[in-house]
Amino acid sequence: MLYRRRELDLPNGNLDTPVLFPVRNLGKRSSDNTPTYVGDIPDFSSAIINARSIRNRDPMWNRLTNGVTLREEMDVPEDTIVFADSGGFDFTSGEVDTTPKETLETQRQLNADIYGTVDVPLSRKNRAAENQDRIEQSIQFALEASDHHDGDSLLLASVHGYDPETIRNNIQHLEKYGDFHGYALGSLVPIRTDYEKVTSLVLAARKATEKHLHVYGLGGLVYQPLLLYLGVDSFDSSAFIRAAGNRNYLIPGFGGEELQNIEEMERLPCPCPICGQRTLDDIRQDRTALTQHNLWALATELRRFRYVAESERDIENYLDLRFRGNEVTQRAYKTAKQQIRRLV
Amino acid sequence: MNNSFTISDEQQNYTQYNLQANPFPYSPVPAEDPEIFCGQQHVAEQISSTVSSVLATGKSKHLVVTGKYGNGKSHTLKYTRSLLRDRDDVVVGYVAQPGEGFLDIYHEFMYDLGFNRIQELAYNWLASVARDVTDANPMGAESMRSLIDEGDVLLSDIVPEAIRKLSDITRFADFARAIVHMVYEDTNLYAWQWLTAEGIRYEQRKEMEIHSALDDDTMGVRAFTALKNLLLDLGYTSVFVFVDEFESIARLNSKNEQATLNSIRHLMDQNSSGLCVLFGCAPEVWQDVMSEYHAFSERIGQEVALRPLTSEHLYELVADYLNRERDEPNGEAPIHPFTEESLDMILQRSQGNVRQVLALCSRVLDTAIEDEREVITEEFVQESM
Repeated sequence: MLYRRRELDLPNGNLDTPVLFPVRNLGKRSSDNTPTYVGDIPDFSSAIINARSIRNRDPMWNRLTNGVTLREEMDVPEDTIVFADSGGFDFTSGEVDTTPKETLETQRQLNADIYGTVDVPLSRKNRAAENQDRIEQSIQFALEASDHHDGDSLLLASVHGYDPETIRNNIQHLEKYGDFHGYALGSLVPIRTDYEKVTSLVLAARKATEKHLHVYGLGGLVYQPLLLYLGVDSFDSSAFIRAAGNRNYLIPGFGGEELQNIEEMERLPCPCPICGQRTLDDIRQDRTALTQHNLWALATELRRFRYVAESERDIENYLDLRFRGNEVTQRAYKTAKQQIRRLV
Repeated sequence: MNNSFTISDEQQNYTQYNLQANPFPYSPVPAEDPEIFCGQQHVAEQISSTVSSVLATGKSKHLVVTGKYGNGKSHTLKYTRSLLRDRDDVVVGYVAQPGEGFLDIYHEFMYDLGFNRIQELAYNWLASVARDVTDANPMGAESMRSLIDEGDVLLSDIVPEAIRKLSDITRFADFARAIVHMVYEDTNLYAWQWLTAEGIRYEQRKEMEIHSALDDDTMGVRAFTALKNLLLDLGYTSVFVFVDEFESIARLNSKNEQATLNSIRHLMDQNSSGLCVLFGCAPEVWQDVMSEYHAFSERIGQEVALRPLTSEHLYELVADYLNRERDEPNGEAPIHPFTEESLDMILQRSQGNVRQVLALCSRVLDTAIEDEREVITEEFVQESM
């Protein structure tokens, strides 16, 4: 098993890993629609933000450059750990409109604890040559960021590739020619339903480096236990917001269930602080409550895994049970298990 | 119950003939890497001349070795292959029989080269590109692999150029992509299956951006030519193809036979340099090919026939075999425990057919051990048979 626990010493405090960074969509819209969770859910005193979106939203940026701190803007305590992603996902179809140096400046201005380097994500729809260009660009951006980075914040190089060789090759190259605290694996969201592929890419990254490994965008209920098992140190997710938008109720150990499919029950199965005291109808009518519950569901999934690991129970037995209900994820887990067993 | 079987793993003792074991095969089939080639000087000279011309000039040249069943066609081809295989400037592939058409010949040829060899070629190709487009100077497959593993060279730096350049050289972009995909663990088995014409699903091809299926003789010829062009660009001087049991094309219906011969002809036409095809064929089938398919047979031009063994060649052959298991020589004749007369009797019985000669020698030698004979005489051979 590759699951591991570490502690990161960051400018705004320490952070125990593995950890989920809930997505704060600050800057993406006129007002942030991520509900309050820092302080309410003890597992999550962290957030991932899109540095580019914030930088491009003039009123917000003006406030942030005129004395308002990012945490004040987010209405969270000052010791909240912030991962500032470059916003590369927006470059999937658009032109890159920033430079590594500019992005670092923004990340610094935001007083982020972790910086993700500028990247140009891949797409399965692209021709292979186009994706090779994008991989190359992301590497050069990362190396450029490495040249300009100083200070205590963690610099994670964003790495892309749709095959294990490319992932290994990129990480080794960056390790040799740059100076990074870890790596962040991207472009996995478009291929998230290809669990076996994603598993092999994550494992390739994990094998290539002992440093911090973050996986962009795959922190949902199903991926969390897989990523933890594969030794990923952090991941982020907006699944709790997106699911709530679709009136999807996340149930730890199962997955999502559309609320319209639940009719007869008075109370939902989760005893979290949101669901415990409310009726199904209350939740059905309150999207913020549903979002908050979904985040609790992610926290529960994470806690369960930690509990199994810390109590020295057999994690593989737990995962055998956890993935039994879904043939696809079960196959991905079995593939990962075989590969990991060959490693150990 | 009467048990008439007596099965034992007790080994015969051949020391009385100053031998460690019976050197003759019980079931004479050509060894993979034969060590002995005896007699047939004219065949050796003709093959040497053909092969040497190709090596010296780079121009393609082809030859047919004919001979009746058991006269050593396969042995001759495999012996030649074993001589050539040690050279690092040529690529040699053996095709046991032509199958149903040229695609089968191509498939067998690729399989004989093997997955590892093709993967090594892919790394060699990347190395050649890396030398051109990066500061790295990998001198072979291993150093290229190591540069990739260590991150000294970025795959994204060299792969697009490797595909583009190989497409130019081979004029077969799908082939170029398949070769490059041999270095990726996720797709190398698909690439191998495509390259060996085994057929892969559309989705698997799509993952490698391979648009065409390699599933007919025309595509086989194209892929073979592409491979040869890759090899020449990598510095190999020539590609040798040994097609054994060529007589089996007579099994095909007339249309398929003609298609197969046409495809081989096209292969030869498209490869005026760097290619040498050696066929092993029964004489009667070759006669038919010569008389009915001029366009094909004229491109081969040369034929050399294996002849039945003579007495002198037989003595030499038996001595060579015995010598392989001989302890320190202690003054006996090289063919001891056989006598010349006994070997003449074996030759007569086998009508000079090498396969039968070897089988008889093997059997007679074991019988002589059981009978505790000092020498194997003509009479003993007669009795034993």
